[in-house]
Amino acid sequence: MNKISLLAMAALIVGCGTPASYKDSEGRQLVVSLEKIDLQDFATAGNAMLQSMITSPAFNAAGASPVLQVGQITNDTGTNFDTSVLLSKMTVPLVNAGRVTLIESDAVASAARKNAGSSAKVPQPDFVLSGKILEDRSNAGSTRQSSFVFQLTLVEVKRSVAIWKDEKIVTKQGSKNSVGF
Amino acid sequence: MNKLLPLLALGFLTGCTSVINTGDKIERALTPPDAVNYATTRPEGGFSTQINDSRFGNKLELLAARKSKTAGGFTQVQFDLRNGSYLGQTANVSFEWLAADGSVTERQGNWMVTPLEPGALTTVTATALKSTSAECRLRIIAR
Repeated sequence: MNKISLLAMAALIVGCGTPASYKDSEGRQLVVSLEKIDLQDFATAGNAMLQSMITSPAFNAAGASPVLQVGQITNDTGTNFDTSVLLSKMTVPLVNAGRVTLIESDAVASAARKNAGSSAKVPQPDFVLSGKILEDRSNAGSTRQSSFVFQLTLVEVKRSVAIWKDEKIVTKQGSKNSVGF
Repeated sequence: MNKLLPLLALGFLTGCTSVINTGDKIERALTPPDAVNYATTRPEGGFSTQINDSRFGNKLELLAARKSKTAGGFTQVQFDLRNGSYLGQTANVSFEWLAADGSVTERQGNWMVTPLEPGALTTVTATALKSTSAECRLRIIAR
Protein backbone atom coordinates (compact mmCIF):
# COMPACT_ATOMS: atom_id res chain seq x y z
CA MET A 1 0.00 0.00 0.00
CA ASN A 2 2.82 2.34 0.89
CA LYS A 3 4.48 1.88 -2.47
CA ILE A 4 1.22 2.30 -4.39
CA SER A 5 0.40 5.50 -2.51
CA LEU A 6 3.85 6.88 -3.14
CA LEU A 7 3.60 6.07 -6.84
CA ALA A 8 0.16 7.69 -7.04
CA MET A 9 1.54 10.83 -5.38
CA ALA A 10 4.50 10.92 -7.75
CA ALA A 11 2.18 10.56 -10.75
CA LEU A 12 0.01 13.38 -9.46
CA ILE A 13 2.95 15.70 -8.96
CA VAL A 14 4.27 14.98 -12.46
CA GLY A 15 0.82 15.49 -14.07
CA CYS A 16 0.07 18.68 -12.15
CA GLY A 17 -0.10 22.05 -13.93
CA THR A 18 -1.19 23.26 -17.33
CA PRO A 19 0.97 22.23 -20.26
CA ALA A 20 2.22 25.05 -22.47
CA SER A 21 0.24 25.64 -25.63
CA TYR A 22 0.15 28.20 -28.47
CA LYS A 23 -2.45 30.93 -28.34
CA ASP A 24 -3.62 33.48 -30.88
CA SER A 25 -1.64 36.64 -30.01
CA GLU A 26 -4.64 38.70 -31.07
CA GLY A 27 -7.22 36.45 -29.44
CA ARG A 28 -9.08 36.63 -26.13
CA GLN A 29 -7.33 33.77 -24.32
CA LEU A 30 -4.32 35.82 -23.23
CA VAL A 31 -3.02 36.44 -19.72
CA VAL A 32 -4.42 39.61 -18.13
CA SER A 33 -1.81 41.05 -15.75
CA LEU A 34 -2.50 43.55 -13.03
CA GLU A 35 1.10 44.61 -12.48
CA LYS A 36 2.11 45.35 -16.07
CA ILE A 37 0.92 46.46 -19.48
CA ASP A 38 0.02 43.42 -21.57
CA LEU A 39 0.41 43.17 -25.35
CA GLN A 40 -3.36 43.44 -25.78
CA ASP A 41 -3.31 46.72 -23.80
CA PHE A 42 -0.79 48.19 -26.23
CA ALA A 43 -2.99 46.99 -29.10
CA THR A 44 -6.13 48.51 -27.55
CA ALA A 45 -4.46 51.86 -26.83
CA GLY A 46 -2.58 51.95 -30.13
CA ASN A 47 -5.67 51.19 -32.18
CA ALA A 48 -7.81 53.75 -30.34
CA MET A 49 -5.10 56.40 -30.77
CA LEU A 50 -4.66 55.56 -34.46
CA GLN A 51 -8.38 55.90 -35.11
CA SER A 52 -8.45 59.20 -33.25
CA MET A 53 -5.45 60.58 -35.16
CA ILE A 54 -6.61 59.66 -38.66
CA THR A 55 -9.98 61.33 -38.09
CA SER A 56 -8.50 64.58 -36.78
CA PRO A 57 -9.07 67.51 -39.17
CA ALA A 58 -5.41 68.59 -39.10
CA PHE A 59 -4.12 65.14 -40.09
CA ASN A 60 -6.69 64.90 -42.89
CA ALA A 61 -5.67 68.32 -44.20
CA ALA A 62 -2.00 67.30 -44.38
CA GLY A 63 -2.23 65.72 -47.81
CA ALA A 64 -1.99 62.20 -49.17
CA SER A 65 1.15 60.91 -47.43
CA PRO A 66 2.71 63.36 -44.97
CA VAL A 67 6.24 62.65 -43.71
CA LEU A 68 6.21 61.36 -40.14
CA GLN A 69 9.08 61.02 -37.71
CA VAL A 70 8.76 59.08 -34.51
CA GLY A 71 9.84 61.08 -31.46
CA GLN A 72 10.38 59.99 -27.90
CA ILE A 73 7.84 57.99 -25.92
CA THR A 74 8.61 58.25 -22.22
CA ASN A 75 7.91 55.23 -20.06
CA ASP A 76 6.89 56.66 -16.68
CA THR A 77 5.60 53.36 -15.29
CA GLY A 78 7.25 51.05 -12.78
CA THR A 79 7.88 48.30 -15.33
CA ASN A 80 10.45 48.16 -18.07
CA PHE A 81 9.28 47.68 -21.67
CA ASP A 82 10.12 48.85 -25.15
CA THR A 83 7.83 51.73 -26.09
CA SER A 84 8.14 50.80 -29.76
CA VAL A 85 5.42 48.21 -29.07
CA LEU A 86 2.90 51.04 -28.79
CA LEU A 87 4.27 53.01 -31.73
CA SER A 88 4.32 50.02 -34.05
CA LYS A 89 0.58 49.53 -33.44
CA MET A 90 0.14 52.95 -35.04
CA THR A 91 2.92 53.20 -37.60
CA VAL A 92 2.59 49.71 -39.14
CA PRO A 93 -1.02 50.19 -40.39
CA LEU A 94 -0.29 53.79 -41.46
CA VAL A 95 2.80 52.88 -43.48
CA ASN A 96 1.31 49.74 -44.99
CA ALA A 97 -1.80 51.64 -46.10
CA GLY A 98 0.38 54.39 -47.61
CA ARG A 99 -1.10 57.02 -45.33
CA VAL A 100 2.27 58.34 -44.12
CA THR A 101 5.90 58.34 -45.23
CA LEU A 102 7.89 57.24 -42.21
CA ILE A 103 11.44 58.47 -41.72
CA GLU A 104 13.64 55.54 -40.80
CA SER A 105 16.91 56.57 -39.16
CA ASP A 106 18.58 53.18 -39.27
CA ALA A 107 22.38 53.55 -39.00
CA VAL A 108 23.17 50.79 -41.50
CA ALA A 109 20.73 52.20 -44.06
CA SER A 110 22.24 55.69 -43.64
CA ALA A 111 25.78 54.33 -44.08
CA ALA A 112 24.71 52.38 -47.18
CA ARG A 113 23.13 55.52 -48.60
CA LYS A 114 26.37 57.47 -48.09
CA ASN A 115 28.46 54.69 -49.61
CA ALA A 116 26.19 54.55 -52.64
CA GLY A 117 26.76 58.29 -53.12
CA SER A 118 23.04 58.88 -53.35
CA SER A 119 22.12 62.46 -54.10
CA ALA A 120 18.44 61.88 -53.31
CA LYS A 121 17.17 64.33 -50.75
CA VAL A 122 16.08 62.85 -47.41
CA PRO A 123 12.55 64.15 -46.79
CA GLN A 124 12.03 66.55 -43.93
CA PRO A 125 9.34 65.51 -41.45
CA ASP A 126 5.97 67.25 -41.54
CA PHE A 127 5.00 65.73 -38.21
CA VAL A 128 6.66 64.27 -35.12
CA LEU A 129 4.78 61.77 -32.96
CA SER A 130 5.76 61.65 -29.29
CA GLY A 131 4.17 60.83 -25.96
CA LYS A 132 4.22 59.40 -22.49
CA ILE A 133 2.93 56.32 -20.67
CA LEU A 134 1.99 56.65 -16.99
CA GLU A 135 0.41 54.41 -14.39
CA ASP A 136 -1.86 54.69 -11.39
CA ARG A 137 -2.42 51.94 -8.85
CA SER A 138 -4.97 51.65 -6.06
CA ASN A 139 -6.57 48.90 -4.03
CA ALA A 140 -9.57 48.20 -1.82
CA GLY A 141 -9.06 45.18 0.39
CA SER A 142 -7.74 42.38 -1.78
CA THR A 143 -8.98 44.03 -4.99
CA ARG A 144 -6.21 45.72 -6.91
CA GLN A 145 -6.65 48.22 -9.71
CA SER A 146 -4.08 49.27 -12.27
CA SER A 147 -4.64 52.08 -14.75
CA PHE A 148 -2.22 52.78 -17.55
CA VAL A 149 -2.44 56.18 -19.22
CA PHE A 150 -1.26 56.52 -22.82
CA GLN A 151 -0.72 60.11 -23.98
CA LEU A 152 0.31 60.97 -27.52
CA THR A 153 0.93 64.26 -29.32
CA LEU A 154 1.37 64.97 -33.03
CA VAL A 155 3.48 68.08 -33.57
CA GLU A 156 3.54 69.99 -36.84
CA VAL A 157 7.26 70.66 -37.40
CA LYS A 158 6.88 73.90 -39.42
CA ARG A 159 5.04 75.75 -36.67
CA SER A 160 6.05 73.65 -33.65
CA VAL A 161 2.44 73.34 -32.60
CA ALA A 162 0.50 70.31 -31.47
CA ILE A 163 -2.16 69.58 -34.07
CA TRP A 164 -3.51 66.45 -32.37
CA LYS A 165 -3.40 65.13 -28.81
CA ASP A 166 -5.18 62.24 -27.21
CA GLU A 167 -5.21 60.15 -24.08
CA LYS A 168 -6.36 56.57 -23.67
CA ILE A 169 -6.64 54.90 -20.26
CA VAL A 170 -6.63 51.10 -19.86
CA THR A 171 -7.89 50.00 -16.43
CA LYS A 172 -7.68 46.47 -15.03
CA GLN A 173 -9.14 45.29 -11.73
CA GLY A 174 -8.97 42.06 -9.78
CA SER A 175 -7.22 40.21 -6.99
CA LYS A 176 -4.88 38.19 -9.22
CA ASN A 177 -3.83 37.78 -12.83
CA SER A 178 -6.15 35.74 -15.02
CA VAL A 179 -6.35 34.00 -18.38
CA GLY A 180 -8.77 35.35 -20.97
CA PHE A 181 -10.96 38.43 -21.22
CA MET B 1 1.53 6.31 7.71
CA ASN B 2 -0.78 4.24 5.54
CA LYS B 3 -3.62 6.68 6.22
CA LEU B 4 -1.48 9.76 5.87
CA LEU B 5 -0.28 9.11 2.33
CA PRO B 6 -3.73 8.94 0.64
CA LEU B 7 -4.63 12.15 2.52
CA LEU B 8 -1.52 13.82 1.16
CA ALA B 9 -2.41 12.62 -2.32
CA LEU B 10 -5.88 14.13 -1.88
CA GLY B 11 -4.24 17.41 -0.85
CA PHE B 12 -2.22 17.44 -4.06
CA LEU B 13 -5.37 16.73 -6.06
CA THR B 14 -7.18 19.70 -4.52
CA GLY B 15 -4.39 22.12 -5.35
CA CYS B 16 -3.74 20.75 -8.81
CA THR B 17 -4.62 22.97 -11.76
CA SER B 18 -5.25 19.99 -14.02
CA VAL B 19 -8.27 19.18 -11.86
CA ILE B 20 -9.59 22.70 -12.40
CA ASN B 21 -9.04 22.21 -16.12
CA THR B 22 -11.18 19.06 -16.03
CA GLY B 23 -13.95 21.07 -14.33
CA ASP B 24 -13.52 23.77 -16.97
CA LYS B 25 -13.91 21.16 -19.72
CA ILE B 26 -17.13 19.85 -18.17
CA GLU B 27 -18.48 23.40 -17.90
CA ARG B 28 -17.49 24.08 -21.51
CA ALA B 29 -19.40 20.99 -22.61
CA LEU B 30 -22.51 22.20 -20.81
CA THR B 31 -22.29 25.87 -21.84
CA PRO B 32 -21.89 26.82 -25.51
CA PRO B 33 -18.87 29.10 -26.05
CA ASP B 34 -19.27 32.80 -26.76
CA ALA B 35 -19.53 32.68 -30.53
CA VAL B 36 -18.46 35.51 -32.84
CA ASN B 37 -21.32 37.42 -34.44
CA TYR B 38 -21.15 39.71 -37.45
CA ALA B 39 -22.84 42.86 -38.71
CA THR B 40 -21.88 44.06 -42.18
CA THR B 41 -22.81 47.36 -43.80
CA ARG B 42 -24.55 47.20 -47.18
CA PRO B 43 -23.70 49.32 -50.23
CA GLU B 44 -27.34 50.47 -50.43
CA GLY B 45 -27.41 51.42 -46.71
CA GLY B 46 -28.32 49.60 -43.52
CA PHE B 47 -26.64 46.41 -42.44
CA SER B 48 -26.99 42.63 -42.44
CA THR B 49 -26.26 40.36 -39.50
CA GLN B 50 -24.95 36.85 -38.94
CA ILE B 51 -25.75 35.82 -35.38
CA ASN B 52 -23.91 32.66 -34.32
CA ASP B 53 -24.56 32.95 -30.58
CA SER B 54 -28.18 31.97 -29.90
CA ARG B 55 -28.05 33.91 -26.61
CA PHE B 56 -26.82 37.11 -28.29
CA GLY B 57 -30.30 38.64 -28.53
CA ASN B 58 -30.72 38.32 -24.76
CA LYS B 59 -27.52 40.26 -24.19
CA LEU B 60 -27.04 42.96 -26.81
CA GLU B 61 -29.04 44.68 -29.53
CA LEU B 62 -27.54 46.06 -32.72
CA LEU B 63 -29.62 49.18 -33.26
CA ALA B 64 -28.16 50.92 -36.29
CA ALA B 65 -25.20 51.27 -38.63
CA ARG B 66 -24.24 54.55 -40.27
CA LYS B 67 -21.73 54.95 -43.05
CA SER B 68 -20.09 58.18 -44.17
CA LYS B 69 -16.90 59.56 -45.71
CA THR B 70 -14.20 61.56 -43.93
CA ALA B 71 -12.84 64.82 -45.36
CA GLY B 72 -10.03 62.76 -46.90
CA GLY B 73 -12.52 60.46 -48.63
CA PHE B 74 -12.12 57.40 -46.39
CA THR B 75 -15.11 55.34 -45.28
CA GLN B 76 -16.21 55.72 -41.67
CA VAL B 77 -18.84 53.61 -39.92
CA GLN B 78 -20.67 53.79 -36.61
CA PHE B 79 -22.57 50.89 -35.05
CA ASP B 80 -25.02 51.60 -32.21
CA LEU B 81 -25.24 48.90 -29.52
CA ARG B 82 -27.58 48.58 -26.55
CA ASN B 83 -27.38 46.31 -23.56
CA GLY B 84 -31.02 45.25 -23.38
CA SER B 85 -30.53 42.86 -20.47
CA TYR B 86 -30.78 43.39 -16.72
CA LEU B 87 -27.14 42.38 -16.30
CA GLY B 88 -23.94 44.18 -17.13
CA GLN B 89 -22.44 42.88 -20.38
CA THR B 90 -19.06 43.08 -22.00
CA ALA B 91 -18.92 43.50 -25.75
CA ASN B 92 -15.68 42.52 -27.47
CA VAL B 93 -15.62 44.22 -30.84
CA SER B 94 -13.28 44.26 -33.80
CA PHE B 95 -13.55 45.52 -37.39
CA GLU B 96 -12.78 44.18 -40.83
CA TRP B 97 -12.94 46.27 -43.99
CA LEU B 98 -14.12 44.96 -47.34
CA ALA B 99 -13.60 46.22 -50.87
CA ALA B 100 -16.55 46.67 -53.23
CA ASP B 101 -15.98 43.12 -54.55
CA GLY B 102 -16.13 41.67 -51.02
CA SER B 103 -12.42 40.98 -50.53
CA VAL B 104 -10.90 41.89 -47.18
CA THR B 105 -8.74 45.01 -47.40
CA GLU B 106 -7.99 45.74 -43.74
CA ARG B 107 -8.36 43.88 -40.49
CA GLN B 108 -8.12 45.05 -36.91
CA GLY B 109 -6.39 42.21 -35.13
CA ASN B 110 -7.17 42.93 -31.51
CA TRP B 111 -10.48 42.87 -29.66
CA MET B 112 -11.68 46.11 -28.08
CA VAL B 113 -13.27 45.42 -24.70
CA THR B 114 -16.40 47.54 -24.16
CA PRO B 115 -18.22 47.08 -20.82
CA LEU B 116 -21.91 48.05 -20.94
CA GLU B 117 -24.13 48.77 -17.96
CA PRO B 118 -27.74 47.45 -18.15
CA GLY B 119 -29.67 49.58 -20.61
CA ALA B 120 -26.54 51.41 -21.75
CA LEU B 121 -26.18 52.62 -25.31
CA THR B 122 -22.80 52.86 -26.96
CA THR B 123 -21.50 53.71 -30.40
CA VAL B 124 -18.44 51.97 -31.78
CA THR B 125 -16.71 53.83 -34.60
CA ALA B 126 -14.12 52.77 -37.16
CA THR B 127 -12.43 54.63 -39.99
CA ALA B 128 -10.78 52.90 -42.92
CA LEU B 129 -7.12 53.52 -43.71
CA LYS B 130 -7.38 52.53 -47.36
CA SER B 131 -9.50 54.26 -49.98
CA THR B 132 -10.49 50.85 -51.41
CA SER B 133 -12.27 49.90 -48.17
CA ALA B 134 -15.96 50.33 -48.95
CA GLU B 135 -17.90 48.22 -46.44
CA CYS B 136 -17.26 47.37 -42.80
CA ARG B 137 -17.81 44.07 -41.02
CA LEU B 138 -18.20 44.35 -37.25
CA ARG B 139 -17.12 41.26 -35.32
CA ILE B 140 -18.79 41.13 -31.92
CA ILE B 141 -18.82 38.79 -28.94
CA ALA B 142 -21.19 39.45 -26.04
CA ARG B 143 -20.45 38.11 -22.57
